[in-house]
Amino acid sequence: MRILGLLAAMAGLIVLPLISSGYVVYLANLLLTFTVLCLGMHIVIGEAGQFSLAQAAFYGIGIYTSGLANTAFGWPLPLSVLASGLVAALVGLCIGTLALRMRDIYLALATFAFGEAMQWVFLSWTPVTGGPNGLRIPPASLLGFEIVNDRQAYPVVLAITILMIWATVVIARSRLGRAFRAVRESEVAALAMGVSVQTTKLAAFALSAFFAGVAGAMFAIYSTYIHPDSLGFQTTILVLTMVVVGGLGSFSGAIGGAIVFGLISELLRQAPSYQEIIYGLILIVFMMFAPRGLFAFIGDNLKRFARA
Amino acid sequence: MSKRATGRLTALAATCIAVMSLPVAGSAQEPGLSDKTIKIGMFAPLSGPNMAYGFDVANAARMYYDKINKEGGINGRKIEVVLEDDRCNANDLVAAVKKLVEQDQVFLLNGGSCSAAVVAAKDYVVRSKIPLIMLNASGDGALYPPTDYIFGAFSISQYAVGGSIVDFAAKTFGAKKIAYINHDDAYGVWNLEGSKADAEAHKVDLQVESISPTITDVTAPFFKLRAANPDALAIVTYARPAALLIKKAYELGFTKPIILSVTGTANLSQLVENVGSKDALKNFYVQDVLADLPGGPKIKWVYDMYKEAYPDLAAKPDHPQAYMPYGIPPAMSIVNALKEAGPQPTREKVLEALKKQHFDTGVMAGPVVFGPQERAANKSTIFIKFDGTNQVLQPGVYTSRWQYKG
Repeated sequence: MRILGLLAAMAGLIVLPLISSGYVVYLANLLLTFTVLCLGMHIVIGEAGQFSLAQAAFYGIGIYTSGLANTAFGWPLPLSVLASGLVAALVGLCIGTLALRMRDIYLALATFAFGEAMQWVFLSWTPVTGGPNGLRIPPASLLGFEIVNDRQAYPVVLAITILMIWATVVIARSRLGRAFRAVRESEVAALAMGVSVQTTKLAAFALSAFFAGVAGAMFAIYSTYIHPDSLGFQTTILVLTMVVVGGLGSFSGAIGGAIVFGLISELLRQAPSYQEIIYGLILIVFMMFAPRGLFAFIGDNLKRFARA
Repeated sequence: MSKRATGRLTALAATCIAVMSLPVAGSAQEPGLSDKTIKIGMFAPLSGPNMAYGFDVANAARMYYDKINKEGGINGRKIEVVLEDDRCNANDLVAAVKKLVEQDQVFLLNGGSCSAAVVAAKDYVVRSKIPLIMLNASGDGALYPPTDYIFGAFSISQYAVGGSIVDFAAKTFGAKKIAYINHDDAYGVWNLEGSKADAEAHKVDLQVESISPTITDVTAPFFKLRAANPDALAIVTYARPAALLIKKAYELGFTKPIILSVTGTANLSQLVENVGSKDALKNFYVQDVLADLPGGPKIKWVYDMYKEAYPDLAAKPDHPQAYMPYGIPPAMSIVNALKEAGPQPTREKVLEALKKQHFDTGVMAGPVVFGPQERAANKSTIFIKFDGTNQVLQPGVYTSRWQYKG
């Protein structure tokens, strides 16, 4: 059943650009980008239990690194995607080091402060980021082929997303993934089992930032412009909402949350007078009736239905 | 089936395909155009915290299109509006634009109330070769360097904001030395560039202090400027620093004229509250881009039209919103260009008509003027003397001399 579902999803994703308008393909690219961003947050919060609120900052680092790699150095696309992830991971490692002594609300506040500071840097470092004027991102090119529209970008964005989903599964099933969950459940118990808590936390921060950096590079493939306004706390909260609605700690929940909540947000644009109210109501309903997330809720109900 | 019959059928099919492929005279129309309608894609912030920048501006443009429709339309075609919410956010704005162009298949775009967000659509609009006529965004980042497809700054170009203040100070007060405070961001750089052109023309010495938009203490920059003994103080900032500077000037006994840019306040009663005392506004002037005081006789027709078109909204407090009249000039510009393009309009014909436009809207301080290298519609402003209670319109219209040089 699961394999059939996966095959259907794959078939749908492959034919999507053939049967849809450019607008739908743009949305698909955006949702796939947010999927990778959510996977990064899933690793640090859902898997390792570290409350980090700096995802938008790492995302921004990824976008600017990719833009710079393309404009200033003319690097090929795979290299600029990798560089975006690595630069973000390096910064994530530094923040992880600083955050080692904190937990819960203090960690959340410290990472929130880092996110705000980074937005200020994006706004003020004009020679690199364009400052409040924003930065024009030239078209990316792959094997000498210039990517100038959403349809051309889609296969590349989809391939990177699949790669990142695969990487998340591998990490979750590895020794490191088990260490993440052990630290999340109890640091003392994890330490007693021989897990290096500090190294595990650092790895969670670095990996999460790497995913956000790659998401930034994905954005730079199909978007031609970035403004620091898009890299504030609102973006982090949007990603957090997606992860929580999908199901905190659930890998499929992070993906589903990104897609479902991204679509809801876009559909609500058609109801401008009521969208804030509807948005709030949806969140409240989710928290009341599906506190473990959308997919856990569907799974529980399917099981109940099968038993009946 | 015989070979002969097969051959005949093949020939018939080929003929059908060939006939279907032939262009039919008069039916080869561009997207968004039918014999009876012209589809215009509008986008503005219709929700969220930035709704005040665009909600009523879009309403104003729509009521103008409705008026044109009631008068018979343009060359027999009625205007059909598809309106999208851009939330004043770059990603949402690009999604709205792509939906309008690719899904709704509009003929042209009329939208954008937030400068930073509208710039995000620039490359896509140029690549799609679709005309974009902004609403009230100054959008200089999308207007310069000029492209064939994007027109804007119907309220005013950021370059012209500072220049027209210098023009006013020099002509009205004979100022030879002006203390000029702007922001240390791109907008600050742009309006200072415009100011320099006017300062040079009037032989005015500009004493410049650039401050952060988030500044909380303006004492140091104010002391520096006061030490230069200027003839007037020009404040070209956002609302919060502006209120701090006016307050500081009053506290330190500065009595020379203070001139505030249009970007410095959207609500004068709020300014009085923020400054703390009406005495701080004894020698105070504020810039505006409309042709008259808000609701004044020259532009009363816009407010009357709004009341008639949206009686329910007009009955609500805070409506029409301050920027409402700004929606009329871009709509006029589009209607004029469509009329000029004739009974068989194309996007190229409309773009050519736009590039030659020069007309008075009766709504804004200056006329809409485009040219081969000019994509910012308005560079003129008026000035209002405000003492904390009364607004008195100052004589004259003040226009920035700044020109794009490439």
